[in-house]
Amino acid sequence: MNAITPNAPALPAPVGLLAELTHRCPLRCPYCSNPLELDRRSGELDTATWQRVLTEAAGLGVLHVHLSGGEPTARNDIVEITQTCAKLGLYSNLITSGVGGALAKLDALYDVGLDHVQLSVQGVDAANAEKIGGLKNAQPQKLAFAERVTQLGLPLTLNSVIHRGNIHEVEGFIDLAVKLGAKRLEVAHTQYYGWAYVNRAALMPNKAEVDRSIRIVEAARERLKGQLVIDLVVPDYYAKYPKACAGGWGRKLINVTPAGKVLPCHAAETIKQLEFWYVTDHSLGDIWANSPAFTAYRGTDWMQEPCRSCDRREKDWGGCRCQALALAGDAAATDPACSLSPLHAKVRELAVEEAAETPPDYTYRTIGMNVQPNVRSPLNEEAPL
Amino acid sequence: MTAPFPTPIADETQRLLSADELAAALRDIGARRYHNLHPFHRLLHDGKLNKDQVRAWALNRYYYQAMIPIKDAAVLARMEDASLRRIWRQRIVDHDGDAPGDGGIERWLKLAEGVGFSRDYVESTQGILTATRFSVDAYVHFVKERSLLEAIASSLTEMFSPTIISERVAGMLKNYDFITKDTLSYFDKRLTQAPRDADFALEYVQKHATTPALQRQAMAALTFKCTVLWTQLDALYFSYVAPAMTPPDAWTPGTGLVPETPVTQAAGTGTIGPDDVPRLPRGVRLRHDAVRGQYVLLAPERTFDLDDNAVLVLDLVDGVRTVRDIAAALAEKFAADRAVIEADILVMLNDLATKRVLER
Repeated sequence: MNAITPNAPALPAPVGLLAELTHRCPLRCPYCSNPLELDRRSGELDTATWQRVLTEAAGLGVLHVHLSGGEPTARNDIVEITQTCAKLGLYSNLITSGVGGALAKLDALYDVGLDHVQLSVQGVDAANAEKIGGLKNAQPQKLAFAERVTQLGLPLTLNSVIHRGNIHEVEGFIDLAVKLGAKRLEVAHTQYYGWAYVNRAALMPNKAEVDRSIRIVEAARERLKGQLVIDLVVPDYYAKYPKACAGGWGRKLINVTPAGKVLPCHAAETIKQLEFWYVTDHSLGDIWANSPAFTAYRGTDWMQEPCRSCDRREKDWGGCRCQALALAGDAAATDPACSLSPLHAKVRELAVEEAAETPPDYTYRTIGMNVQPNVRSPLNEEAPL
Repeated sequence: MTAPFPTPIADETQRLLSADELAAALRDIGARRYHNLHPFHRLLHDGKLNKDQVRAWALNRYYYQAMIPIKDAAVLARMEDASLRRIWRQRIVDHDGDAPGDGGIERWLKLAEGVGFSRDYVESTQGILTATRFSVDAYVHFVKERSLLEAIASSLTEMFSPTIISERVAGMLKNYDFITKDTLSYFDKRLTQAPRDADFALEYVQKHATTPALQRQAMAALTFKCTVLWTQLDALYFSYVAPAMTPPDAWTPGTGLVPETPVTQAAGTGTIGPDDVPRLPRGVRLRHDAVRGQYVLLAPERTFDLDDNAVLVLDLVDGVRTVRDIAAALAEKFAADRAVIEADILVMLNDLATKRVLER
């Protein structure tokens, strides 16, 4: 007997580990991708557990580790954890706000072999940036942090999450990236999960603004060729086809939360029926191969129409499961961001309507706050939310 | 020379024309007087203008574009019939757009920016020719002061514009390397908007010009509009082509432009040549991936899968050897032509440099 079915697809090896070391963060961005229920410090994994997780990740084939959060430098052991990555040959990427204790720890991180820094910038104008991030005096700290990153010779990526509160600053972000000596700039239109879903009406830009931002990026790419690489993420609701969420469910990415819960993507917990395993109970390899959350939507067997017979099914893997749940009421539905989804027109109308209205105030990200998402769904009233 | 159709001046009989005859007479006005016949336009389409002359055209023409919705609002204000206004207001929407960043004026600003102007300077209209201002303003006054029939008839130059637009777009794209399809996006929309507007206006004129006198008024209005357009090109020709007499205060080359981005080359960037020493900067690492059994180049937020040749080259990228050295080492190892290898390596290394994962 052959144990392997001849046509069973081989289990893909994961490429990236998103290590959400903590949910603590000095910033309170209204589009934060963290879940609405944030983990508290007392529940965070200890250093040794993270080191074991990293070792197991390297063994599985992970190449990149994204040290994220919250603010990863809020952890006292960030230098030790980064050093472990270096020893294992893992490429370490610090995803930071650059505020709080980040600058004080930067030199030590450099010394133990940190590979890359991705710094978030909320806006170009300081007052606007600090309004979005919800922290006074954040901007000068960020600029000082960026300056030290490039002084050390570390590659710097600026990450700007774009929404209606800063979409007029796209040119400014590009100039800032050049001025700070960044090699990469991410112009990432907000993806509406987590806190961004709650704040969608306050964040959604209109189509003309989105188009303008795309034109600006395209012109700058040409002008700054060889000097600055600009990655552009366009907003889902205005796109033709959805993003392959996290490169396809359970295909490339492993996300470990501060408390050790292992997710196929950072928003997966919104799908309540999924069963997630913890690194404290299982090895990472066991979780990757066998945990119900990872096997639920891996591959294409779970798909419905129009995904099932679509020739793009192994390109975008049906889009985002969390968005399908939020907007279509079924996590196994086609992502309504896809133009082939029967709900796509409604989603787009909703985006247009919300962008045309006066934006409500932000609901800032806060630990321990019980937020009830009050977001309109394109569906009838039976739909969740 | 005898005109085949009655014109306001030549037609002695002053008889009432049929609807078709009226349309033909109006078209004949365009065939003789529309500004596609102007020498400046021929130069523009044939690629005979230099960049500054094209700029002068874009700058001056902006004033015309910017005043069109004001002109149409004046026409609209005189319409007592809501069904007419509903149709006419679409022209204002087309030009102003529904939101910032949208509409014909915005697309014209894009065109002006595309040829190098700063948006603020164009919008200020401070550099336009006085003749441009006078002729455009005359058009606005005309539609306010004359009858609604004449105001609508004066818009009929739109019957002729699809031809000029097709010629213009094809000619300009072909002949000017500083013009892109994107820059000319204004004209894409006009190709569908203009015929729709013209059909309506022609029908209106045919229906409402019910006496020989009214028909002559409509023809005269269209003739007037042709002169509005023609005069603007006269002024451009006179000021920027020959005798190139630029009036005081008009735009002069070099002003109102966005400074060309100084090529501030960041350290280590730029094209890599044979004598350069390539190196992998901090944050870019060549690594063997044991799980997948291949070499990969790890870089910020991305991984490059490498074929055997790329691995051989990157193995020799050590911050000491020049590209020439690397090519020589590989040529010796594989008994191959060094020049061929060098050319291949340069392509590969410059590709990586463009992606900011290799420096010199």
